[in-house]
Amino acid sequence: MTMFHFFNCAILTFGPHAVYYSATPLSEYDTLGTSVKAALVYLGTALVKLVCLATFLQVSENDGFDPYQELLKALIGFIDVAGLYFALTQLTHRNISQNHKFQAVGLGWAFADSVLHRLAPLWVGARGLEFTWDYILQGLEANANLVLSISLAALGSLIWLRKNKPKTLIPIIYACAGIVATMPSITSYLRRGLGWHFSKVVGFELFTSLVMAFISWQLFSACQRPYRCDAHCPVVSYEIPFGHRCKLQKTQIVYIYRSRGMTLAPRLVDLIG
Amino acid sequence: MALSKNSGGHWGMQESMYSVIALVFILVACVELCDAAAAIDVYRLIQYDMSGSAYGSRFAALNHHAASLHFPPGSDLSRAVLIIPLRELNITFVREYINQKKPLGGLLFLLPEIFSFENGGKKQVHEKEQLKNLLAELEQLLIHANIPYPVYFAFENDEIDTVLADIKKNDAIGQPATATTGGYKLVIPTPEPKKVASPTFTNIQGWLSGLKADGDTNQLPTIAIVASYDTFGAAPALSVGSDSNGSGVVALLEIARLFSLLYSNPKTRGRYNLLFGLTSGGPYNYNGTQKWLRSFDQRLRESIDYAICLNSIGSWDNELWIHVSKPPENAYIKQIFEGFSNVAEELDIKVGLKHKKINISNPRVAWEHEQFSRLRVTAATLSEISTAPELLQGTGGLFDSRQFVNETAITRGVKLVAESLARHIYGHQGKNVQIFADGGSLAVNPAYIQSWLDLLSQTPRVAPFLSKNDPCVMALKKELADHTDEVNMQHEVLEGVFTFYDSTSARLNIYQVASVTFDLLLLLMLGSYLIVLFSFLVITTRGLDDLISLFRRPPSRKNNT
Repeated sequence: MTMFHFFNCAILTFGPHAVYYSATPLSEYDTLGTSVKAALVYLGTALVKLVCLATFLQVSENDGFDPYQELLKALIGFIDVAGLYFALTQLTHRNISQNHKFQAVGLGWAFADSVLHRLAPLWVGARGLEFTWDYILQGLEANANLVLSISLAALGSLIWLRKNKPKTLIPIIYACAGIVATMPSITSYLRRGLGWHFSKVVGFELFTSLVMAFISWQLFSACQRPYRCDAHCPVVSYEIPFGHRCKLQKTQIVYIYRSRGMTLAPRLVDLIG
Repeated sequence: MALSKNSGGHWGMQESMYSVIALVFILVACVELCDAAAAIDVYRLIQYDMSGSAYGSRFAALNHHAASLHFPPGSDLSRAVLIIPLRELNITFVREYINQKKPLGGLLFLLPEIFSFENGGKKQVHEKEQLKNLLAELEQLLIHANIPYPVYFAFENDEIDTVLADIKKNDAIGQPATATTGGYKLVIPTPEPKKVASPTFTNIQGWLSGLKADGDTNQLPTIAIVASYDTFGAAPALSVGSDSNGSGVVALLEIARLFSLLYSNPKTRGRYNLLFGLTSGGPYNYNGTQKWLRSFDQRLRESIDYAICLNSIGSWDNELWIHVSKPPENAYIKQIFEGFSNVAEELDIKVGLKHKKINISNPRVAWEHEQFSRLRVTAATLSEISTAPELLQGTGGLFDSRQFVNETAITRGVKLVAESLARHIYGHQGKNVQIFADGGSLAVNPAYIQSWLDLLSQTPRVAPFLSKNDPCVMALKKELADHTDEVNMQHEVLEGVFTFYDSTSARLNIYQVASVTFDLLLLLMLGSYLIVLFSFLVITTRGLDDLISLFRRPPSRKNNT
């Protein structure tokens, strides 16, 4: 029966990642390699953060909130951002559109975070006879983390990969990216400084992650380049060009699949980002 | 050479594989490393066989749900453990359950803290006597029953009180255990109890030599003072037997101390040898005493003038009894009784004489002096108990704790015995001489009595569970060696009638568990959540048509073929 509980919590923690991968077009374009690379970059980033924390942080006896220590932890948290930058820009990806690139990187990042931080406590704790709500809350936290990682990757790709953005939106993008990047410090302040219960903290995380996801989705689509399915088609859209079906001409545009034996339609080449 | 290199690489890979598999096994085995809602020490009911019949609780391991006395009538308790605090105990209910052999998963009795020898001595409870009698009755019921499920005793504390209150609340509502309202599971992971192989009984004797006049070749007469030190109770790990027979042991040690002071100076050494005996095997028809006496030299046995056995002299007010097996008209008995009565009168104690004939064919030996009498040695037992106890009754059980023993009673008893002996030894019968007067250097030391009584009230002394070099036995031996000339230990094995089983104490873990329905519900909710998430993502990223097309077979294929 306790393995049952472990199984439940495991599918709550890791299921959404698998569902996200299979539901979105990520699975069609075989972006698994990107996700795996992003996960490895996360591992490296985690190691670097550990070393920095061990070097610069002092261990405090009580569980209270020390502003100086938290500030240091927040600064070290920005190493996360650097790692994400590395994963988005420096790694070589196959020809994947920007949309899918940030999703794949965010997914890999979140999956590695869940495995590293939540798998071991789950294995050791959830199989015991004693029942606590902790592991279910942890799974919900993993879900919120997934949404936050993808938002952060979206904003990151906007900042570093998109060349021409509307001028008015740039400060908003940076502000949102800053908020999402400092989420870990905010949650630890809520838990330690204000003494919030774990369930309240998880609820707050879920709410903010949904809000930030919505905002970054709006920003991302606002910065999209307009696209036309055909030089003669009057329909202009901002949607992802792959698999587009031109409603006006009622013809099937050549489906741009992953470059596995199918060639790209030549007129669409320069429209791809 | 290439072959060896290959096999070398292969061997290296195999080794790392084995180490990974071993690591996985270790990780899998770490299931038990989780903490419980509460963990308390529990003590098991004794398990023993007597003449082939099984008695006591026959099982030790426990893994069942907890239930309280307010369980809904008609519910199945065969997989539940009943938690019964002593204050709410209804003895007829328990008797009915045991005698009618109703199925039960286990029993857990919660004893008030006053019976605990660790920290219960300070509290005063006004219904002490009632609880004591109830506990005595419960103990007798449990010892003589054959119970096919585990029975444990524990002391009340805050943790288990809150757990029990929770259980009662749930049972009263008749609500099944859910995750939030708290179903509790009691787990005691102990292995099967095994027989105690050849239990040893150790008799300790101390010899104080009397003064032999020059030219006297005859053996000096001996006076023996005997007390049995071991106990038997419902929970062997808790059987400290403060009154039965810790009081007797303490009194014997104090008497030995007083007489060693007297005998240390040759001018005050009496013309009698003194033999102090701490015997084991008391609850089992004084088997140890019998073996001890049989081991004596014939001449030594014949030289014993008389023996005084001490049994339970810790909680009396004004009356003590001398039990004899020879008829009161016997000259020796008369002499002993008169000696005691004279001293008793001065000390304001009433002493009565009780005569119980020995039946040779009856194996039951109710008093220690009967073993002496069977070997033709004059003996008497001094006790506060007026009637002979049954087998395994009054042998220092759960209710016999330090709370109920009065050290002034022991002090008066010591004075009585010591004065009577001294008057007999030094020939001052009938004279009003106070040898062990209060305030003198030979006064009875109440601090000595109290410290030894406290020590004995914290050590359980069930003989089969005492090894040859048990610290308690060694301490008694050392103390006796301090006060006597020569100390001997005799190790005997109890054969035949009694067999004991180990596993007397364990650690109980109480877990708060969620029911299976909760897990199934959770699985259902998670399944639907993931399905909803999946549909949501497909609709937003690929369009509704794609979602529908997932469930419909593409019709174009059929047309093509």
